Amino acid sequence: MKTGNVVPMHATNVVVVGATSAVAQAATRLWAGRGVELTLIARNAGELERIAADARVRGAPAVATFVGDLTDTAFITETVRTMTVPRIALIAYGSLTDSARADSDATYLASELNANFTSAALWAQSLAERMAADSAAGGTIAVISSVAGDRGRGSNHAYGAAKAGLTAFCSGLRARMAARRVHVVTVKPGFIDSPMTAHIAKKGALWATPETIATGIVNAIDKKRDVVYLPGFWRLIMLIITHIPEGIFKRLKI
Amino acid sequence: MNPLSLDQPWGRGYSALHTHAFADGSSFATNATTSFLPRGLGRSYGDVCVNDGGTLLHTFRRDRLLSFDDVHGVLTCEAGASLADIAEAMLPYGWFLPVVPGTRYVTVGGAIANDVHGKNHHHWGTFGKCVFEMKLRRSDVGLIDVEPSDALFRTTIAGLGLTGLIEEVTLQLDCVPGPGIEQDTKLFGGDGTIDGYLALDEASNDWEYTVGWIDTLDPNLRGVFFRGRHCDGPNEWLAPQPARLTMPMDAPRWLLGAWSAKTFNALYYRAQAMRTATRETIPLWQFFFPLDAVNAWNRAYGKRGFVQYQFVVPTAAARETVPKILTHLREAQVASYLAVIKTFGDNPSPGLMSFPMAGTTVALDIPAPDEKDRRALDRADAMVADVGGRVYPAKDARMSAAMFQRFFPQWRELEAARDPAISSSFWRRVTASQDSAQ
Repeated sequence: MKTGNVVPMHATNVVVVGATSAVAQAATRLWAGRGVELTLIARNAGELERIAADARVRGAPAVATFVGDLTDTAFITETVRTMTVPRIALIAYGSLTDSARADSDATYLASELNANFTSAALWAQSLAERMAADSAAGGTIAVISSVAGDRGRGSNHAYGAAKAGLTAFCSGLRARMAARRVHVVTVKPGFIDSPMTAHIAKKGALWATPETIATGIVNAIDKKRDVVYLPGFWRLIMLIITHIPEGIFKRLKI
Repeated sequence: MNPLSLDQPWGRGYSALHTHAFADGSSFATNATTSFLPRGLGRSYGDVCVNDGGTLLHTFRRDRLLSFDDVHGVLTCEAGASLADIAEAMLPYGWFLPVVPGTRYVTVGGAIANDVHGKNHHHWGTFGKCVFEMKLRRSDVGLIDVEPSDALFRTTIAGLGLTGLIEEVTLQLDCVPGPGIEQDTKLFGGDGTIDGYLALDEASNDWEYTVGWIDTLDPNLRGVFFRGRHCDGPNEWLAPQPARLTMPMDAPRWLLGAWSAKTFNALYYRAQAMRTATRETIPLWQFFFPLDAVNAWNRAYGKRGFVQYQFVVPTAAARETVPKILTHLREAQVASYLAVIKTFGDNPSPGLMSFPMAGTTVALDIPAPDEKDRRALDRADAMVADVGGRVYPAKDARMSAAMFQRFFPQWRELEAARDPAISSSFWRRVTASQDSAQ
């Protein structure tokens, strides 16, 4: 009786980097329900095993897992070299930097910039190369950046800067890879109600669930969109925010 | 999650203050300065899911399906998995939950803690009968396996979440022919008795699901009887239609009186009576969960919320006592919309404190009950107790400790098995005056 949704023929293997994040789990469920093979990568072995089991029960015919430090260059290179070539990849991890701590702790600031920008760029670059080199079918890489990358704000300058770098990197990578049939989707979510933001008590209408974001990501990949704001209203909010004159903006407590 | 407030149960009209924590075991085991209560989706109507002044342990996102034996239909999952999620994930493969309550937005842990029942109680019994095994985290002994032969199995099923944090569950799924339900609708009553309902129910033994809707504000007790069985349906029915309606605001108070209820009920009966097709095939989502089609439907009962009153009386007393209680509530002018009537089978649950018993159950929604309504319900409690019946804790926000202890004389056994770090507002309320029922 299982008929499932219409799956693009090339979507035979999907890799999820940072598979334990709430958005990644929700997206993994959508793909598992479509019956695609999955490669899941994360640091927490116990959680990863549960997520892999969940994907199998929901219909993924095969699920491979890699456990390691996502920000480690050697792990990135080795994992991408040995994994089954994916047709779709989602890079979905991040760390909400504590700006106050970053002010005075240089080691922390460096590791946050590495987590949110450098390592994510390395995953995107090496996955793109592997996809392009291996097959004429190409592939699609979705990278979760953030609306925070559209303009540096006083309240989260380090996180915003790393995401701004990641957005620019994705834009450039999309252009570099266009002729080699690898597509890059830049995903810019707004506030997500997830464990990463569990400490923020007051959540209003701007907050979206990981399921909403995941559905938006999977749709954006299916349609090969270039840049998506999730939910879409953030495009308008960021349009306004990026047009506030710097002289005023620097005095705003946002 | 309840979109309105984590501090209120689904029936609202209740204010409580909680600390919130993720149910990841570590927070539960090490912190002994507060009392805890596991919380799933918070769909219990009353205070069994409230722990005023304490900490709620949210099983939110502990919802992974861990293994499935597709030969025998046995699923192991985390207890925060919702019945909605399990049904949507498994229906395309031909599997459905053997027992579902009137909403799919409850977790497996919550379904066990309240030992919920469905329209097929006469076939399957309660949710607890589908459970093979649980992993239970206790504050005193850590994570333990609980099997049917263990004493903790008996106290945890229908244990109101008090015996520990249920982390994993192994349960039986039911093999179904497809996403449809063949539904048959009949009218009954009009003579002030429930004899018509009971006759239809008795004649429906080959139907897996039966339920009646009864107009308790009409002295003639008119009603509509629904029976259904699983059947195949188009593939579009495999997934539920997303809720397209959201109750945008709290209904105003003037809309919630006895007159509005009377008018609503009369119109509903007329709409059912006028339908030409009494036998039809509908998506199972529509058959089991009609209210899930409206987000936040509890707002329809206004800011002051509502209480749901569900009682059961044993088979021998049903014919006489059910009309007596309904007449009493009508004469006391207790407004009620959409009362549901259902006959439970002789299908004992493994749960010590399980609500269902062989007999007839009626559930009424009562918006914003005032003092007069509360007195009328207290009187109804006594009528239920006098014939050996019970009132359902999962829906209760008002019964007295003395009555509770009459309905469930075995409650001390649950108190003895309770995890010392767990408590709820309900439990403190109904066990408060412990000697009054002696």
